[in-house]
Amino acid sequence: MKIQLKSTAAIVALSSLVAPAAMAEETIKLGLSVPLSGAAAVWGKGAEFMCETAADEIREDGGISVGGETYNFACLPYDNKYNAAEGTKVAQALLNREGVRYIGGSLGTAPVKALQSLAERQGVLVFTVAWGASLKGTDHPMTFTQMNTPGEILPVLLRYVAERHPDAKSVAMLNPNDATGQETEALASKVWTKNNVDVLTSDFYERGTTEFQPIAARLASMNPAMIDLGATPPADAGAIFKELDVLGWDGVKIVEVGTGADGLKATGGAAADGVYMGAGVTFDGDTVTDHQKAVNTRAKERIGESLNAVQIGFYDSLYALKAAMEKADSIEPEAVADSLPRVTFRTFYGGEIGFYGTNIYGRDQQMRLPIIVTQVRDGQLEEVARLIP
Amino acid sequence: MQHVIQLGATALQIGAVYILFSLGLTLIFGVMRIVNFVHGHIFAIAALVVASLLPRLVEGGFAAPTAYVLASLAGIGAALGLGALIYFFGFRHFQRDLVGSFILSIGFVLMLDGVLLSLFGGSVRGVPEIFPGTLSVAGAQITMQRLFLCAVAFLMAAILYWALAHTKLGKALRAVAYDHEAAMMVGVPYGRIAFLGFLIASFLAALAGALLAPVTIVSPVIGTDYLIKGFIAVIIGGLGSVPGAILGSFFVACIETVGGYYLDSSYASIAIFTLVIVVLLFWPKGVLGRG
Repeated sequence: MKIQLKSTAAIVALSSLVAPAAMAEETIKLGLSVPLSGAAAVWGKGAEFMCETAADEIREDGGISVGGETYNFACLPYDNKYNAAEGTKVAQALLNREGVRYIGGSLGTAPVKALQSLAERQGVLVFTVAWGASLKGTDHPMTFTQMNTPGEILPVLLRYVAERHPDAKSVAMLNPNDATGQETEALASKVWTKNNVDVLTSDFYERGTTEFQPIAARLASMNPAMIDLGATPPADAGAIFKELDVLGWDGVKIVEVGTGADGLKATGGAAADGVYMGAGVTFDGDTVTDHQKAVNTRAKERIGESLNAVQIGFYDSLYALKAAMEKADSIEPEAVADSLPRVTFRTFYGGEIGFYGTNIYGRDQQMRLPIIVTQVRDGQLEEVARLIP
Repeated sequence: MQHVIQLGATALQIGAVYILFSLGLTLIFGVMRIVNFVHGHIFAIAALVVASLLPRLVEGGFAAPTAYVLASLAGIGAALGLGALIYFFGFRHFQRDLVGSFILSIGFVLMLDGVLLSLFGGSVRGVPEIFPGTLSVAGAQITMQRLFLCAVAFLMAAILYWALAHTKLGKALRAVAYDHEAAMMVGVPYGRIAFLGFLIASFLAALAGALLAPVTIVSPVIGTDYLIKGFIAVIIGGLGSVPGAILGSFFVACIETVGGYYLDSSYASIAIFTLVIVVLLFWPKGVLGRG
């Protein structure tokens, strides 16, 4: 009797340990390779916030149903410091130590290249907002792009600017001296030429530069009708436009990767007025939904800035993955990668979208996101054109 | 001709900032024989406090110049506090120990990177112009804000130069820099002089941060670029030499300005590092360094 009681107690105790584990939802870890320190930290922190926001929403909606099981996402952000060396360390930590099989988002062409080479060998599915065209194509079947890149933005943005300013027939270009800047510059030069605009000079500068007077003096000395700061971060761009303003230059201003007015205004002040941007998102118009406003308000409290297209990509990738996993009825990365080009999902911008890009990249790996042209007017970012590809 | 004047004015403006920054670095090295990579963070914290406080004070009803002075005092105070903490809990125990202070310095940099990012966030902060307007000199344009910065930088350099030659503290600092053991033998309190030297250097960095806040990109990483340029200036001029720091600052500013104008900003950076290599080949202790 005593032995029976002990056995029963042991079984009850064991089942109390096992039962919750059996009933617990499975978690799918999503690695994030983003800058969490340095000048681009605000992008990485916003990316982490948007990943967590989407993961929470999906959990509240009942999770991801695959093969009768319920799964939920967990975001694992690692700091790639926006450089290749740290990007390599992050790739090894995420893939080899954490064992992640999905990269929910990655930022920076150089660190993403490091991540991609390791991920491809291990069959890991990679989402990225990196602008490098070399990351895309049929050679990279496990990579998907969660934000518009120069291939999508520049033809629309630069044509719009050229048409709005038909008398402006010359441009001076400046880009950061890294993989992102070089790949952006190569495409932008072609697009300007195609739009019958003469490229007077195309310079590069080192990220982290703080004194922009010599750069501004050189650009102004060319007397261009337009100045295109390409992939220059908004804060740097604002400082350059401010120095150009002091020198008396007054022409058409463009920041292709411009993601928001906050950084631009912080350093450029009134000189930021009139700047055209290709990756900005506005939250002031009548078309903005309550959900977008609420998430943006929370983001501003957490990171100090309005959300931008870079960060929003880290929200959309989770819904894309959820749709693809449920369609494939599998959580195997290869099956999910096969399924992704054929699904539609809810985007933060509103509505259902899918993937496209066969005509440009040889496979449908680019999210079909709206291309939004914005301009700073009276200190506010305004949407001036929108194209749904 | 106009662009030559403009380039000269630009070099002077940039040089003024580097002077303030490099004077502190060279002073610390001269007195304590340590390499202080935290100098950039002391500079950054002053700029960040100014950028955080100034808009609030203006919103609170203060006139912009008054608010700027108050915010600058708070920024300089915070930077001096940080400097004192770093000295007492760190560098005091690693004086005249290049390797030890180097490792400690890197540790502080990593820690402060995280602390500043956590306290102030990663987004860039805007500081309104305190002295609006532009001055035109023979066609060259200089903002009043930059002009004010130049005036203060040159004034501070002159005061430091004079104080080192004519005050008791200045003479003690120089004595310690030349031979700290001999200085102690004649009654110079080395520990107190080293601390005061560290505080003066921190003050110079903080002042540079407060002055630059309205004209530059204020973020937790602002100090890195100035730190690199400041080190290059003192290496060219000679570690521990005040005139060397001033000379080196102008060298760097001139190359950055002229190279950035005629070539490309990237080539200007390469030219600066090439200059350092050339100087180290021919003057291993810097142009005005002591043998």
